[in-house]
Amino acid sequence: MLPLLLVSPLAALACLWLGGSRATAVVLQSACALTFALSLALAGRILRGGPLEAAQGWLQADALSALVACLASGLGLACAVYGAHYMAVVEAHERDAARWAPGRYEALYLVLVGCMLLATLSNNLGLLWIAIEGSTLASALLVGYYRRAEAVEAGWKYLLLCSVGIALALFATVLLYYSAVHAFGEGPAGLRWTTLRDAATQLDPRFVKLAFLFAFVGYGAKAGLAPMHSWLPDAYSQAPTPVAALMSTALLATSLTALLRFHAVTAACIGPEWPNGLFMVFGALSMIVAVPFMLVQGEFKRLLAYSSIEHTGFLVLAIGLGSPLATFGALLHLVMQSLAKALAFLAGGTLGRANDSRSMDQWSGVLAAGPAMGVLFLGAGLGVGGLPPAGTFVSEWIALTGGLAGAHRTFAVIALIALVAVFAGLVFHWSRMALGRARSGYADAMPAASRLPLWVLLGLLVLFGLWLPSPVRTLVEQAALVVRP
Amino acid sequence: MTLPFPEWLPRSNTVNLLAGAFLLSALYAAAQRRTLAAITAYRCNSLALGLIALVVALATGARHIALAAALVLATKAVAIPALLARQVRRGRSSAATEPLLGVPGGMLVCGALVVVAFSQTRELFGAGVSILASCLPVSMASTLVGLFVMVSRREALMQVIGLVLVENAIFLAAVSLTYGMPLVVEMGVLLDLLVGVALFGMFVGRIEESQGDSDTTRLTSLKG
Repeated sequence: MLPLLLVSPLAALACLWLGGSRATAVVLQSACALTFALSLALAGRILRGGPLEAAQGWLQADALSALVACLASGLGLACAVYGAHYMAVVEAHERDAARWAPGRYEALYLVLVGCMLLATLSNNLGLLWIAIEGSTLASALLVGYYRRAEAVEAGWKYLLLCSVGIALALFATVLLYYSAVHAFGEGPAGLRWTTLRDAATQLDPRFVKLAFLFAFVGYGAKAGLAPMHSWLPDAYSQAPTPVAALMSTALLATSLTALLRFHAVTAACIGPEWPNGLFMVFGALSMIVAVPFMLVQGEFKRLLAYSSIEHTGFLVLAIGLGSPLATFGALLHLVMQSLAKALAFLAGGTLGRANDSRSMDQWSGVLAAGPAMGVLFLGAGLGVGGLPPAGTFVSEWIALTGGLAGAHRTFAVIALIALVAVFAGLVFHWSRMALGRARSGYADAMPAASRLPLWVLLGLLVLFGLWLPSPVRTLVEQAALVVRP
Repeated sequence: MTLPFPEWLPRSNTVNLLAGAFLLSALYAAAQRRTLAAITAYRCNSLALGLIALVVALATGARHIALAAALVLATKAVAIPALLARQVRRGRSSAATEPLLGVPGGMLVCGALVVVAFSQTRELFGAGVSILASCLPVSMASTLVGLFVMVSRREALMQVIGLVLVENAIFLAAVSLTYGMPLVVEMGVLLDLLVGVALFGMFVGRIEESQGDSDTTRLTSLKG
């Protein structure tokens, strides 16, 4: 576990030190590949031997952490491989590209990946807070990458809103610590998540409830739950494409994990009804809020950003539904939506450059213009919309089945209606862009090698939609047990 | 849980005095139009926080609390105000802009927030949680005042000051509820805070660069 956490920061230092040479891209990719391999190994160990602890209880890895660690490092790798090509093109052709010291982009990217891994593996709620705040800081700098007023505005909003949110989450951490000090005395034990969860009945319920409320607002803002979502479309649309892809998938999963850690303690202390209700109401709200913005959206990255809000809402709602099947479906959806959304963002990055426009009105005939890109683009559409054979269909299906069979049918129906509305909007946008005659100015400057990570993402998305390999299924099942024992 | 507290220390008076200074400095920051004056108020606020932590450390004899107090003083009373003040000096528009709500109106709102905080905290937490029970309502009140500063000001830097006031208040809550969090956590939080303020300063600089002043109500190019 420790090597996994050490790779990214060390590689970040190496990138800063190497500076000007092209070696930084190699360091970035190999560091991401190494973290991914270590994450997979960690997941394997947990599947065989159960949860692990390290560093005197400061770190722990259960199935949920292993799942999110694999997502964060795997998507980190895919976006890094794509990003090496993409950022080279941006730096060569874009007037607004930041004049950063060489290696700074790579170093920040690695710090972001490192913070996400630390957040998933930390067993101490204080450490979790530090890691999440670290990821906010690193990603805010990356959001402000382009030298234009919009990027500054997006970065500012993101930093300010998430800082307020995270301040409230710090208060939540303090409250939970306070409720535990009576039981465990002072010291790190009072913030240790495993201890808190196992002895939740000894905690003072009033403070646990209050702490969950603050954590919900704080980490929920980071995950993009309505009504704290207003920073999200701005940040995703202004960040460089690989960073936006990473934020909408891995960072979202990480923030959600932080929320789920608080949820588990709260559910064990005061029973699951109250936190579940909160999850369902705000999950449904997020889905409903996203729908109109998606239907009339003109910019591709903003469309995907609102789709992220909708998917987060769906995930949270499904977990709130409370049935084991819905929880399993929700965590499966976390994996599937990450694959689909990363694919869509990266494909959109290439197409945006090829069409030289961010506006979807300027995109047409993607299939005719470049068949390979067209297939990837259609695959991304299937994934984001939740059509078979993409895995998102399966996960949404499972979660909804679990919900409709459970006690909260109304919310499952609301989710279903929102999904259908979003689907209609996506079909409209996608058919407009994919079909028709190719645009005359279409020029894809990206090398074919940049499409490799996209093919891998699409392959996994379809593979998991048709057949879920048993290690993946077991991992998601065990993660669902962590969320809802 | 009760910790030994030596009789010789005029505990309630010292702590109450410092808590009063904490709240007054937060209110003073809210009443200022000039950013530099608000930064000075923030420095006093941090000083009061650090001294409260130091009193706790003296009272309990716990070395890690003393260390945490020293770190709080170094970061919040020295480093962060210095960073903020540097940003003010660099900025082009030193002229104070009008708050969204005038100063007298703002003070009335802050007074109401303080009353709400003091009346509700007892309900929520019960009386006498620790020797520092008096600090808790103060921390709640300062949180609300800090949030009010954030929403009522147009200048980017004043919003940052509001945010660091909120952070201070949460630190005070941590100190008064649990005598501070474990040292490693506290160090990490302070580090994040310091880097965060440096980043905020950078973004304020870029906002001023792109639109000539740091009026955040004019950041409206991204919509829909």
